[in-house]
Amino acid sequence: MDTARITSGKSVNSIKPADLPAPPQAAIQIVHACSDDGTDSKKLARLAASDMVITAEVLRVANSPFFGYGYGKKIQSIPRAVTVMGQRTLRNLVLCIAVRDAIKQDSIPGFDINTYWEDSLRRAVCARLLGRDVRLDHDECFTAGLLQDFGLLVMFFLQPDKAAMWPEMRRKNPMSRYQMEKRVFGNTHDKVGRMLAKEWGLPAELGEAISNHHGADGDAPDETHTRLCRLAYCVDWMAAVFTADDKSETLTRCRDAITRIFGLAPGVVEKHLDNVPSLVEEAATALGLGVGNQLKFADVMQEANLKLASENLSYQELTRQLEITLEERDRLAAELNREIALAQEIQKSLLPHQDTPGQYITGINLPARELSGDFYDFFTLPDGRMYFNLGDVSGKGINAALLMAKTSSLFRCLGKTVHSPGKLLQQINRELCETTTRGMFVAVTAGLYDPANGTVRLVNAGNPPALLIGRNGTHKAYKAESPPLGIDTDTAFPEYEFNLSDYGLYLFSDGITEGFIAKDETLGITGLLTLILEVGARPAQQRLAAIVDRIRRSPEPLRDDTTILLVEKPHDNGARTD
Amino acid sequence: MNYQIRTEGQYTVIALRGDVDLHHSPKAREQILKYLGDQCHVMVDLADVAYIDSSGIASLIEGFQLAKQHKLQFGLVGVSEPAMQVLKLARLDRVLPIHQTISGMALVSIR
Repeated sequence: MDTARITSGKSVNSIKPADLPAPPQAAIQIVHACSDDGTDSKKLARLAASDMVITAEVLRVANSPFFGYGYGKKIQSIPRAVTVMGQRTLRNLVLCIAVRDAIKQDSIPGFDINTYWEDSLRRAVCARLLGRDVRLDHDECFTAGLLQDFGLLVMFFLQPDKAAMWPEMRRKNPMSRYQMEKRVFGNTHDKVGRMLAKEWGLPAELGEAISNHHGADGDAPDETHTRLCRLAYCVDWMAAVFTADDKSETLTRCRDAITRIFGLAPGVVEKHLDNVPSLVEEAATALGLGVGNQLKFADVMQEANLKLASENLSYQELTRQLEITLEERDRLAAELNREIALAQEIQKSLLPHQDTPGQYITGINLPARELSGDFYDFFTLPDGRMYFNLGDVSGKGINAALLMAKTSSLFRCLGKTVHSPGKLLQQINRELCETTTRGMFVAVTAGLYDPANGTVRLVNAGNPPALLIGRNGTHKAYKAESPPLGIDTDTAFPEYEFNLSDYGLYLFSDGITEGFIAKDETLGITGLLTLILEVGARPAQQRLAAIVDRIRRSPEPLRDDTTILLVEKPHDNGARTD
Repeated sequence: MNYQIRTEGQYTVIALRGDVDLHHSPKAREQILKYLGDQCHVMVDLADVAYIDSSGIASLIEGFQLAKQHKLQFGLVGVSEPAMQVLKLARLDRVLPIHQTISGMALVSIR
């Protein structure tokens, strides 16, 4: 079959004999005839005469300096070649030519076939060198080395779309490459080689080396296999020292295998490896295969060591970069913490000072995170009336804290001239509606208290009800009559008006009523009322602290900012903060 | 929280389920803004909402404000009891259009 007729993309895990490439017919006939003891030189001469191209090539290769079978005298005919070389050697030489010509140079698009032949020649040369040491026919060893991985070329030939995998496959040691072949092709070169040996009718000893040099499943062949087969295994590792990424490891495996199987001293390997590059060049010239300049073994190892050193350097550099990045992260985190601490300080400064003796208003704010979205404030107008507020910005974190600062500042600034809580919130609302983003809003309860006559004007915009609580437990709730600020410019803010009298007016954010006091149990309005009555006899600041403490001491983490404010006339019995 | 999108008449209905809290509300917000961005009239179905916090409410408010800006309809439908409590407590029931059902609603422009 002509190799040109084979279509690409055939499944490699179900190869049929008909899919395999075919060698030149005359060559394979010579191989078969040489294997037959009954063949004489006349018959071989007749076979050779049927294909003059093959004959000329056989004689050229036989006379090449690498093979040098003429021993200084040129061999000029096939019968002469049989006489000088012997049938078996001639057969092996013809096989080398046959396999070389079975797959044409450009029949696998995108596949660098020269690098394949370079590796095969390296195996062949290694086999020839090692064969001499272990007293095997070194010419037969050469042929076995050249043929042992031919199955791989056949797999690429049948699936040329895998050609791009070759450079990576080539850099692997024999065992890893074997596994990669399984993954890529679903088959391996020894199995394909076995089929090929059968199809081409290769001599049994060569067929055995080709089929079994990876043992049962990529391992080493054992004592039941021929010495040629086990040599092919060693040769695989020996040649891979030049191409595998893990050269040192490959070299160690190679030395161990040769010592274990053939009992040779480890130094033998290095001695041969030194000679391999020049012999590969000579063999390539002899067989007419194009291989590039071969690096000396010492240079190959030096290059590998340099690469290893550079990889180590890269690793060190990577580690250094990582250290720098971590340092940078820590620096930025510290910087951020400093910024947050500053923001916390500014936020605290927005809360009113509470050290005025005999004051009417007290508050506590406990942020759930670093910064609070809740706020409270109070201040006295020149006429003695007191403005107070308690706000809760939707969401948490820096954006909530900024909106809290804005609302609180607007309240204090505009409150100095607008002396009606309803109108004041209306103005702040319009201002916020113009500028807030992402649906953020601010629930605010605000009031104006006149200590001269006890009147309170109160607006609740979106907060839980404000509670007016007497000492005997009587209470009144002032629910939100308006939605929070920042949603709708047209919102109206109706005011409640009542007399504070001897009651305490408690304003609080939902962090109080929704705060956990036990697992799965929130304080709630009723709980808050009970708690206020329980702590009723204490001074105002202590009362608020006790309420917040109840939530803070809960096993559940604080989930919301918690803020409470109390407006109350200072009592004569001393149950007041001062 | 999870959500489902359906079309009912001229409305894209975004049905939220479970807890609409700080952790999950960004997902709700993303859907609301996406459909309003596509010039759809949007109804948010809160029938299966078990809990909604201020971040969830903020997503609804943002939708309401954006719809107003683009002259689109936006509202809440089938609001569950827990969600209604939060809305009422903050008096947001006075701001956000709330409907029992969508069927029979006339398409009117929001003030």
